[in-house]
Amino acid sequence: MQFDWPAIVRSLFSREAVTAVAISILVLGVLLAYLAWRYMHYFLSDAGIDEAVEGTAFERTAQRFGTSTVGLIATLVGISLYIAAILLAGAVSQRFRDVSLWSPFVAYLPNLFVALFALMIGLIAGDKAKLSVSEKFRSIKLPEAELLPELVKYSIIFLAGLVALGQLGVATEALLILLAAYAFGLVFLGGLAFKQLLSAGAAGVYLVLSQPYSIGDEVRIQGQQGIVQEVDVFVTHIESEGEEYVVPNDQVFAGGIVRIRG
Amino acid sequence: MNALREFLDDIVADTDAVFLFSPSASLYQSFEDDDTEVVVIAPENTVDAGTFVELPLEFTNMADRIRFGVEGALEQEYVEEDADVVCIGDVFDDTPDSIVRVQVAEFSPSGVYGLFVNSRAEPSVINDVLDVAVELGKKGQKGKPVGALFVVGDAGKVMNKSRPLSYNPFEKSHVHVGDPIVNVMLKEFSRLDGAFVISDGGKIVSAYRYLEPSAEGVDIPKGLGARHMAAGAVTRDTNAIAIVLSESDGLVRAFKSGELILEVDPEEY
Repeated sequence: MQFDWPAIVRSLFSREAVTAVAISILVLGVLLAYLAWRYMHYFLSDAGIDEAVEGTAFERTAQRFGTSTVGLIATLVGISLYIAAILLAGAVSQRFRDVSLWSPFVAYLPNLFVALFALMIGLIAGDKAKLSVSEKFRSIKLPEAELLPELVKYSIIFLAGLVALGQLGVATEALLILLAAYAFGLVFLGGLAFKQLLSAGAAGVYLVLSQPYSIGDEVRIQGQQGIVQEVDVFVTHIESEGEEYVVPNDQVFAGGIVRIRG
Repeated sequence: MNALREFLDDIVADTDAVFLFSPSASLYQSFEDDDTEVVVIAPENTVDAGTFVELPLEFTNMADRIRFGVEGALEQEYVEEDADVVCIGDVFDDTPDSIVRVQVAEFSPSGVYGLFVNSRAEPSVINDVLDVAVELGKKGQKGKPVGALFVVGDAGKVMNKSRPLSYNPFEKSHVHVGDPIVNVMLKEFSRLDGAFVISDGGKIVSAYRYLEPSAEGVDIPKGLGARHMAAGAVTRDTNAIAIVLSESDGLVRAFKSGELILEVDPEEY
């Protein structure tokens, strides 16, 4: 059930009173927007958002414009409330005569805000993911390893952009096809690249669970004989006379195990 | 006051490096801009120092801490062997209250740094085992003092140089030292006789092991019991290290290559 609130207000009050109500709605809207802005500021800072986004490129850009991520989100919320109040006041007082000119834009507004918000989250999450991935790779001094964090970052931004464009109703089919191709490539090439590791891991799960051999046993795997020192999910360490063989677990399966009972 | 100041000047004159023990960020900052070499020695590198030695234990004794720090800095070549070092640390509270001058050349290394860093097992594993032993020493089993022997690293060889006293309660289990359940579990199992065997990666391989190394040529202080002798001997025969909680005097001792390296009193932690 939908009430036509502006119409109800108009039928309840006289013309002057309606203007007064419209003005008070405007004032209330400003107050509410300000309160929301303050509260968002407080709430987001309290939730540790400002620490979480610290050091991301988005935060730095925001700071160059004299604001911050928290400030931007709070301002966005405040502005949206403010605009809502203006529109409500306008509808009550029927100031905006040509409503048909406005209504598409009004209907579009929430989508615009969601899109902006999605883009913002995407940018920050992308930056964050890049930071954490490069943190993981920091010990690896390899120029090629720097490509991966960038890739992760732009993948996330791409997804966020897709969501934002979808919100705005822009045709995203071409981009979706691109995404599908990208995802397929990732899964296919990733599967190809991690084939060995995955099969070693799968074999390792069996070895770890059922322990056909355990630490201290003397075994022979693919011609390497020695004492088992360590079994983990991916590899088995076998040691004999100062030499340590690190055998991938899928090899253990492929070649079988010889346990030597002395 | 002049005499005091002069004395202090004498102590810090011509030093090659400053060792800061668990410094605050501001203290580190003030030294960092100085032209003497600064080495930070702390459980965690909270100040992002470039030259850092990690303390695996909260040594309460300042001398132990300095010993570890100097050996670590030497090993990582932060200081030369003929360097003079000034250590700034705390004896009583968490605020730096003491200055100690150490001549690295006149310092006989005890191998305590090597015990942690240059052993087969990972330093974090050794640290965890030491924590468990200290914990056990503090609480005991139902208030009574207990003894325990942990052999860490080179588990394959240790297993081959020992035999089971009974069924191994850790067979087909995947318990690692450092898991939260381990403290409780080991406390229960410590009433069992024999040694715990722990692998390089920290997996508890077995309990109830009777160690059979040859004790020939093991040089440990007289007066320590069979448990310590076994610990010393097994570390001489294999590349493992052994951590022993003594039942009689309650101290935790660490052995490597058949020698006593470290002695800590659980009551102090």
